[in-house]
Amino acid sequence: MRFFTKSYSKSYSAHFLFPRNLISVAVLVANCCFSMPASADGDAILRETAQRLAERVAAIPGLRGALRLEWHPDATWSEGESHHWQEMLRGEFEKRSLAFTEHAGVPALDVFAVETPTQVVLTAKARVMDRDEVRIVSIARALLPPDTLPVAPVRLERQMIYETSDRILGASSLGTSLDGGLALLIYRNFELVALRVDSRGAVKQSVSLNSANLKPSRDPRGELTARGGLVSVELPGKSCEFSWESAGEVSCHAEKPAAAEKSIWRGATSLTSPCDGNSWKLLSAGSEPNAKEVLQVVPDGAQRESSAAVLSEFPGPIISTNEEQNPSGALVIARNLRTGNYEIYKIRLACGN
Amino acid sequence: MRFTKLDWLAAISAALVALAGIYAQGAPRYGGTLHVKLRASSVSLDPHEWTPGSLSSAASEKLASLVYDRLVTLDDYAKLQPALAAEWSHDSGNRSWQFKLRSSVRFSDGSLLTPADAVSSLQASLGKSFEVTAVENGVAIRAARSTPDLLEQLASGRNFIFRRRPDGSLLGTGPFFLTESVAPAPAEANPSAIKPAKIRFQANEGAWSGRPFVDFVEVTLGEPPLRQLLDLQVGKADIAEIAPDLVRKARQEGLRIWSSAPQTLVALRFDDALDAPASEQLREALWLALDRDTMANVLLQKEAQPADSLLPQWLSGYAFLFESPMNLQRARELRAAFPAGIPGANQPLRLRVDAPGDLFKLMGERVAVNARQANLLVQVALPMSANSSPAPAVGLHLFAWHYDSLSPRAGLEAFVKQMLDGTDLPANTADPEQLFVQERRLLEERRVLPLVLLPEYAGVRANVHNWNASPWGDWRLADVWLDSEDPMTTKAPAGPQKNSSTARNPGARP
Repeated sequence: MRFFTKSYSKSYSAHFLFPRNLISVAVLVANCCFSMPASADGDAILRETAQRLAERVAAIPGLRGALRLEWHPDATWSEGESHHWQEMLRGEFEKRSLAFTEHAGVPALDVFAVETPTQVVLTAKARVMDRDEVRIVSIARALLPPDTLPVAPVRLERQMIYETSDRILGASSLGTSLDGGLALLIYRNFELVALRVDSRGAVKQSVSLNSANLKPSRDPRGELTARGGLVSVELPGKSCEFSWESAGEVSCHAEKPAAAEKSIWRGATSLTSPCDGNSWKLLSAGSEPNAKEVLQVVPDGAQRESSAAVLSEFPGPIISTNEEQNPSGALVIARNLRTGNYEIYKIRLACGN
Repeated sequence: MRFTKLDWLAAISAALVALAGIYAQGAPRYGGTLHVKLRASSVSLDPHEWTPGSLSSAASEKLASLVYDRLVTLDDYAKLQPALAAEWSHDSGNRSWQFKLRSSVRFSDGSLLTPADAVSSLQASLGKSFEVTAVENGVAIRAARSTPDLLEQLASGRNFIFRRRPDGSLLGTGPFFLTESVAPAPAEANPSAIKPAKIRFQANEGAWSGRPFVDFVEVTLGEPPLRQLLDLQVGKADIAEIAPDLVRKARQEGLRIWSSAPQTLVALRFDDALDAPASEQLREALWLALDRDTMANVLLQKEAQPADSLLPQWLSGYAFLFESPMNLQRARELRAAFPAGIPGANQPLRLRVDAPGDLFKLMGERVAVNARQANLLVQVALPMSANSSPAPAVGLHLFAWHYDSLSPRAGLEAFVKQMLDGTDLPANTADPEQLFVQERRLLEERRVLPLVLLPEYAGVRANVHNWNASPWGDWRLADVWLDSEDPMTTKAPAGPQKNSSTARNPGARP
């Protein structure tokens, strides 16, 4: 069958949301609040859906004169997401000569958006003469861009730099080597894979870790550390190494029982304050799969929730934290409970409030 | 206020204990037995035996998901994820689909999953509108019409993949396998009491998706609602279904209560035997007389929603467009104009409660009260016992319908086929507007009068972690773990130890 047009593999998507050279600028914005721009692809799909509805509404016989647009977004949508849809719909309606006014006396065009398990269903309802006219279109939710999440004001500088629907177990910054970017350890389709992505989020290299011969797990764990072109991956009971240059040669060896028993996972991630050189550590519980999590940065030696703690809420549970080459920075992997995507944040300890 | 050294010591100790607790929670724990109590008195692990929409099939599906897998699953983020199918593709018309099976997947007896297993499972569950054939490394599905919602269908309902062995038992590739099934029997101490049926599942060490955290799942069937609640409170159950009318009580007693999106429609259905032209007014009058708000808010203590549609809002996305306004005045006017001899006027219209349980009987009685307010005579008929003489004909049924598909089109089609004598929906109902038009037509016929929508409720003990059930009622018990070795969970009979692969499924046939 040569005519197939879609495949599962196409649904994998990943992209950097901000180029690395803009991070320092964006960090300033992140200090108060920021929202991510929807991706171009996502916007095109959203616009196409709005166009379909607008065309069907414009074709309703007898629908003439000024209308009052009443927008009823899904109850779970954020204000930003709702506003984005509303403006898109209004624009498409107006392109088709539907005139809107705020005047309360004119007939209403009610537009509803409802999320079902797989779709966003858009319904337009208007009273024409003595009858209700209803037009409905839908779009697969998975095709839409991630929600434009408002992030609570934070005192810790942070920036989301990457997101993907794949399960990220570990991440390491590549620094200036190999054109920058990130090395990722992901659990995709029940297999472990190491990825090298460039500073624009494009996957440059994919290395299967099948040679580690690990059993599938409901609680997959692993850590990855990239130093120059070399990558080491710590897995339960095993340790693997490879270089990006000869990625086909992944060498894995079992840890000695004593070594395997000890925790292979990194201890608390620490940051060094650029102001006074003091050490701070990152604390996260990561125990609730369905709750947003607050990352706590506390002075080394202090207990959780000390008065000096710096708090930052993430849009879901924090999967792991990983020190960066810059001692005042770290990478935080979190799962976004709204989209289901795994997100990587770069955080940095800065002086002052 | 001054702190003594002892106060500081106590405060630091408390903080350390709390911290340790937080970190302990973070690490999943393997082992233990999960005790589950269900209301259904019997289940079948053979998906091809399930009656679409029945409450018993809902319980059966819950247990079948322990033992079998589907080709795909739907996650909580609207993404269809690969399961037994590693990848898939389809043509531009959404009629021809190909699924590549994940390699090296084994059934719980160690045998390999083959395309033939998927073909035999899916051909029977999808029906004659689909042609399922084996292709290299997978299956091809050809639909009689465009089916853009095939993945939603395959991710839900009875579309599990299994192997039927010559002795009739079934094998699955899921995270557990059946080890023991005990039928209900008279209690030894008191033969007049019935010991409920029990089913025991064991962790499948070689599950392709990873070993589940608990070693065993022990399911007790047919527990009365109050008993289930008590079992939760005293620690004899880790997870138990909670009847809607007991949810408030459970909450007041501090139990952790989970609820799904509305999963069950309670509705009335008129018998086709009623004379059509005459019954039109009767249907309209009864529809106007029904007080759904009181049923949902008083009888069901706000743990249900008034229903105006056949499909729930969470599934169709447009249910808010339907309204069922109560209008007693208009109902009485219609009643006054009834022609002679119509049921409900001078002779009672008999209502049979087809759904099991006292709650539905109460709802039937409430319908009779509503009808009386509009001067309609409705008499609730007692359910037939096995040896009673044939009951007189009834004109009205109160039934419960469980939604088991993630595709609104498939959901409405199944409903129409089962409840409205197989009336076919037009072929283009994948379009949501067409689906809405069809549903509106069915509702305007008034052959079915929706009453309320019931979510599914479960009580979950505090020792159960990673409880992450889906809004559509998939409990995902393979991901649940227990935090302590309490005495209950260590009574498991000696079975294979963790990491052993010697235990093999004797077959699923409760």
